[in-house]
Amino acid sequence: MPSVRKTVILLLILSLAVAGLTGCRQAPPPAASQNGDGETIRIAGQFGLVYAPLMVAKDKDIFAKYGLTVEWKEYGSGGAVREALTSGDLDVGFMGIPPFLIGWDKGVPGKVAIGFVCAPVSLISYRPEITAIEDFQSDDKIALPSPGSIQHILLAMQAEKVLGDPKALDNQLIALPHPDATSAMLAKKDIDAHFTTPPYIFQQLSEPDYHVVLSDREVFGNDFSFNVGIVTEKYHAEHPRGYASFVMAINEAMAWINENPYEAAELLAPNFNLDAATTLKYMTWEGMNYTTAPYGLLGFADFMQEAGYLTKVPEKLSDIAWENVLAIVGKRGGTPSEIESLQHRTAE
Amino acid sequence: MAKQNRVSHLHQSTGKLLRQAMVLGALLTAWQLTASSGRFPELLFPPLTKVFSFLLAEKAEIWQKTGFSLSLIGAGLSTAIIGAFITACLVMIFPPLHETVMLLMAVMHPLPGIALLPIFLLWFGIGEKSIVATIIFSAFWPLLANIVTGFKTVPAAQLEVGRNLGLRGGALVCLVMLPSATPHILTGLRVGWARAWQSSVAAELMYGAAGGLGGLGWYLYKKRYMMETAGVLAAMLVIIAIGILMEQLVFNLIELRTIRKWRTASD
Repeated sequence: MPSVRKTVILLLILSLAVAGLTGCRQAPPPAASQNGDGETIRIAGQFGLVYAPLMVAKDKDIFAKYGLTVEWKEYGSGGAVREALTSGDLDVGFMGIPPFLIGWDKGVPGKVAIGFVCAPVSLISYRPEITAIEDFQSDDKIALPSPGSIQHILLAMQAEKVLGDPKALDNQLIALPHPDATSAMLAKKDIDAHFTTPPYIFQQLSEPDYHVVLSDREVFGNDFSFNVGIVTEKYHAEHPRGYASFVMAINEAMAWINENPYEAAELLAPNFNLDAATTLKYMTWEGMNYTTAPYGLLGFADFMQEAGYLTKVPEKLSDIAWENVLAIVGKRGGTPSEIESLQHRTAE
Repeated sequence: MAKQNRVSHLHQSTGKLLRQAMVLGALLTAWQLTASSGRFPELLFPPLTKVFSFLLAEKAEIWQKTGFSLSLIGAGLSTAIIGAFITACLVMIFPPLHETVMLLMAVMHPLPGIALLPIFLLWFGIGEKSIVATIIFSAFWPLLANIVTGFKTVPAAQLEVGRNLGLRGGALVCLVMLPSATPHILTGLRVGWARAWQSSVAAELMYGAAGGLGGLGWYLYKKRYMMETAGVLAAMLVIIAIGILMEQLVFNLIELRTIRKWRTASD
């Protein structure tokens, strides 16, 4: 049968192609190269109140002061940022600790380079009868940014605590970006509750009827970094100067915000479509803290492993954080220091 | 003669099956070899063993999600079929409508249903209704195009014969036009089903706006966010399997029972 013979030839060609694919090294990704005197870094440009230090560093061109050229990249979601770090399209991305841990567990090559912001994260509802997660009926819908997000993990922690099953509410989740979910919430349609973050949390709580059903403090016990900056292993190893410049530029932007809140609010207000006074109110809301110190880095992992979201947990901080972060946390002789303890979850 | 034909037909189809099996086997082996070469991290190329163990471990959830997806497609596709048939009949009864419908079709057909999801989310809210609307839109236009073409291309001679036999109206449609248009209708169904299936997965995958149980798109979405590449591939295998099953069991069966039996299509 000639057609079978042809198929065999085709298969031979195919197997050669596979051999080529597996035998050759992957082509090196472009960019992120030495640029004359300075360094280049590819950062996922993200916007919003919790990204204020990044926006300030960009607007005031603080990166240039440290000789760093930034190539800004834009992605549609936190998941896409993590995928870009994996595929080598990106050197720096910001994300919550749980999404980072999920990536770390699955082999995304990067570690925490910088704490970014502590911010209140709360589950909000407009329905007066819902005051705790036990009050949800099976047809109530809860919006949050995505499965595996910090909001989802906090909800799962509470579900395990009071409902006995971390996945008890999983069939009632709707994954929606914060702005879309906020519109739905304010229209009081499609969803009954929204697990959200600044500034959406402030927008909703500023309206009558909207109340906190569950706060991060109630679940976690202490502050945690809402976002951390992740730098890839490759960039960290090959561009130590670029890495150091990036960390210093963010430090400087953050210190500037904390020292000059009025100017910062005025600078950023147009980006948020808010007036300066509201921006300032949001940036200094109870619980907001622009700080590069890490909080709660190890506080999610144990629960996430028990609930099946992780297959392993970091044994020590150096598994998931670069040396500048390790240096901030330190290692006290005898009992752990306060900042060491703050890397864990104090609520049970 | 007929017997000889059947034997050679059988021979041919075993040859075809053999070739198909070889190609599929080669693709799977190529995947497995690439995965186990260790050249790529498991996150990018999970081994097949892991994919299949995922399928087994999560089969309850996958069944549930598949059922949910199929129920949405059932609702959307049946609505699209009924709508397309009614529209096609109206076009046949009122010829002036033909031009308008053709214009609408030219405008709407190239528009992927998924592109309308943002609007549907506003109109119908976040959840199943918007997904069903997307499915209806995606499947309706190819169905309508094929049904109208089918009706339009019924040979005049067949219609004449039918009329001479005294068939009018509904009887003429059912006994002459429908059988004659069946090859086109079947093509429309195939394209409509494929579009519906794609839309249902894409809608949930893009917007994650599942709510309730969610279907296979939502499953893919979750696996993406949990970075479980093996789970993503497992869901893809299920999607492929359902596509093949539909093609082999449903469409081929309809084809055998209708146009092959009636000899409206050549072998």
